Amino acid sequence: MIVGEQKPFEEIWNMIRQYRRVLVLGCNTCVAVCHSGGEKEAHILSEVIQIKASSTDTSIEVNHMGLVRQCENEYIDDAIHNLQTYEAILSLACGVGVNFLSQKIGSIPVLPGLNTTFYGSVEEAGVFAEMCVGCGDCILHLTGGICPIARCPKSIMNGPCGGTNNGKCEIGVDTDCAWYLIIQRMKALGILHLLEEIQPPRDWSKSFHGGPRRMFVSHVMLNKREDANK
Amino acid sequence: MPKEILDKPFMSSQITTDDNDKPVYSPCRYECPIHTDVQRYIHLISNAKYEEAFETIRSVNPLPSTCSYICHHPCENACRRGKIDAPLAIRHLKRYAIQKATEYRKKNRLRPKQTNGKKVAIIGSGPSGLTVASDLADLGYGVTIYEKFSKLGGILALAIPTYRLPREALKEDIDDILAKGVETVLNCEVGKDISLKDLIAKYDTVVVATGLMKSRNLNIPGIDGQGVLLAIPFLIDVFSNDNREFKLGKRVVVIGGGNVAIDVARTAKRLGSDVEMVCLEAPDEMPAWSWEVDEATQEDIKINHRWAPKEIVRKDGIIEGLVVKRVTSVFDSNGRFNPEYDEHITDFISADTVIVSIGQTVDTTFLNDSPLIVDKQGKLVFNNHDYLSNHPKIFYSGEIVTGPGSAVSAIAHGHKVASSIHQRLNDSKTDLSFVEIDKIGDIPETVRNVIKARPRISISLLDTNIRKKTFIPVEIGYDDASALREAKRCRGCGGGAVVDIRKCMACMTCKRICPYDAPVVSFYSRIRQEYCQACGLCVSTCPSKAISMRGMDVESFRKDVIGLLSEKNSNIQTPPFLLYTCITQGLNPEIPQDIKVVSLDCLSRLDVLDIITPFNYAIRGVLLLPCNDDCKYHGVDYWLKMKVLHAKKILSSLSIPQDCIQIIFNNKSELSQNINDSSLNALIQRHKEGLQ
Repeated sequence: MIVGEQKPFEEIWNMIRQYRRVLVLGCNTCVAVCHSGGEKEAHILSEVIQIKASSTDTSIEVNHMGLVRQCENEYIDDAIHNLQTYEAILSLACGVGVNFLSQKIGSIPVLPGLNTTFYGSVEEAGVFAEMCVGCGDCILHLTGGICPIARCPKSIMNGPCGGTNNGKCEIGVDTDCAWYLIIQRMKALGILHLLEEIQPPRDWSKSFHGGPRRMFVSHVMLNKREDANK
Repeated sequence: MPKEILDKPFMSSQITTDDNDKPVYSPCRYECPIHTDVQRYIHLISNAKYEEAFETIRSVNPLPSTCSYICHHPCENACRRGKIDAPLAIRHLKRYAIQKATEYRKKNRLRPKQTNGKKVAIIGSGPSGLTVASDLADLGYGVTIYEKFSKLGGILALAIPTYRLPREALKEDIDDILAKGVETVLNCEVGKDISLKDLIAKYDTVVVATGLMKSRNLNIPGIDGQGVLLAIPFLIDVFSNDNREFKLGKRVVVIGGGNVAIDVARTAKRLGSDVEMVCLEAPDEMPAWSWEVDEATQEDIKINHRWAPKEIVRKDGIIEGLVVKRVTSVFDSNGRFNPEYDEHITDFISADTVIVSIGQTVDTTFLNDSPLIVDKQGKLVFNNHDYLSNHPKIFYSGEIVTGPGSAVSAIAHGHKVASSIHQRLNDSKTDLSFVEIDKIGDIPETVRNVIKARPRISISLLDTNIRKKTFIPVEIGYDDASALREAKRCRGCGGGAVVDIRKCMACMTCKRICPYDAPVVSFYSRIRQEYCQACGLCVSTCPSKAISMRGMDVESFRKDVIGLLSEKNSNIQTPPFLLYTCITQGLNPEIPQDIKVVSLDCLSRLDVLDIITPFNYAIRGVLLLPCNDDCKYHGVDYWLKMKVLHAKKILSSLSIPQDCIQIIFNNKSELSQNINDSSLNALIQRHKEGLQ
């Protein structure tokens, strides 16, 4: 799941204060789960903006609503006419939603209300933890299901490094050493010997380093229909 | 009942629910023959909104005051709290609300509707006749009631003892109905003073609602002669003719085990006699309501169970006593009334007066010179679907066709018949009868175990020694604080959380926060209604605003808060405070003027939004006064603190001081149980000063 957190209000205010009619647009999937960007947070934020506006004698009309997701055509299409009545949209979606909506909306600025932070799990109610960076070349079968790229600050493939300290990382006592976890876990699984195998260098071009990625699933692509008919 | 009442939304139609998530009635509402929205008026009472509570009751019940005294309250028997500690005292709360709204009611009688030109005559003014009259008047018919006696109300006015139903209560109900333009012809017996034929010539429809006014008699040796009375004429004499000097003998035996028999016995007691009852049934078989039996026993009325009258022994025509024989069984294997006796086991009860109270039957005077027919067994002929008789202009209503029952059942039947008449006269397919929906399931044991017990607050009864001698009401009503505490016991069954499945993304928040394990989450959350206790924690925490409440319209609640904050009050120089509380403030008129009070059922329903939004208006701060120790839910304190922390964090980004939001913790040491206590004001004052 994509995790994000709301930007400091001051930053949001500086983005929107110049507009007279603003929509705070929640996204009711990933970022709602982390209580940052769902319709509820959109509602709260719109109230806070109003309070700020009246306390600074700024005239802004603020409304709020939520879409199921801001990263798919159909959900946006259903609401587009309404969205286009605003001067600016403050999106509480992740960066994907902000990008996608910007692309679709025409000449209206879509502003980010969140900092999109990571792909994470819900460790417990209210606690979210980063576990994957979407590198495009998964090696979790070689590391006991614990990702050294996402969970080691150095993303090293042959850890631990010298900064490991009683299972914790040198960057802070709240951060586990990923390689410590990997070794404990592989021991428990009886596969520690896998670490002795020499691995080929990683192909980072599959990651973001190869440029923005696209994936084609041709069997559900509508524009392939004509090819199939031939 | 008027159409607009039936259209009252049960819940918002704006949301899409799971197919298994149909709205259900709470058991109290389901079991009420007229489906009174009990939960709603109890909720309104606990918010000191007595006028709205009264209107909720009146919307389906033309005789609310009467029912508040004599209803057999099937709602209470069904109350799910019964399985936790004791059912809610619903009837007593109803009475409390109605009494609180007395002045309002006098000023707000419903007026006649624009007439539709059609005229209906109703014969009899008992509960069903009055209901038909009331409903048809609401629908614009010209209604005239023909009543044999000199007063309206039928059995209610004539024979129900005044210690159970004070006549002022009945009068309030009747005044309501008469205000709708219903006309009356008193002292007019149809079949004698005027015929049904005359009526059908004059009216579009005639309703026969004459009830069961004739007492059945026994056929045993010694029954004829002085000293034997029949129940209904006896009660009419005492209560309608106000004959409180009625000379009964010293020792009275009442034959019968029904509610009328109990009324007769308790009345005889009040007239100064020693009273015994004889009934066929064992205690648990008696048709009389158990609480009536209890009250009779408390008044030293002895009940002889499983005895049947055999002979009245007379000497020189004067009654010496009653010979009774043993009853071996009352019901046959099919549960039908079919008593069997052992003639050899007998007993003798000495008495000088015998009152026979073994049931009532139809007085058929109205059949004289009428087109109505009876079948071979002498029974009235009518259609069981719409209660139309063999004549196309004559309907039957009430106990004359349903058999003996309660007042509220007669009212329910009146509604049905009014609906049939409206359909027939308007050639209308609109079905006006009540929407029948399912009732909620039992509270699961796991939930029962976590609900705090809270004893029922009973109303007090008149001292038995006094009540044996007087005809004033036995039941003494609630005081304000008791009524409030009792109202707060309501669990809000069926009025809890419901998920809009178009918005839910199965985030698990509701499941994690629910103290009763009500949500089941798969592709979306479904909140099991029988588990849900309507605390509202999930509603106020759902990140996609997918959860609403069936029993509370959160959006209109917010509108009301904004309305209150937008009000201008010229008496107040500085901006006011907003106080949210689940301790009702209607009882505390001394709250300082600069505090605007919003009460709600539980602060658990408050959202961070509700704490922040008020700062959009000129206020100095938000105060939250929960009931703390007294809270009927779980975890509310903790979540309230969390919400306040969150709200403070948000407000700090606006440079609003954090102490502008205060939770007023009242525990027993700080605030006595008595909410009228001035300590509450002192407490509020102190917290308020802390904000300035």
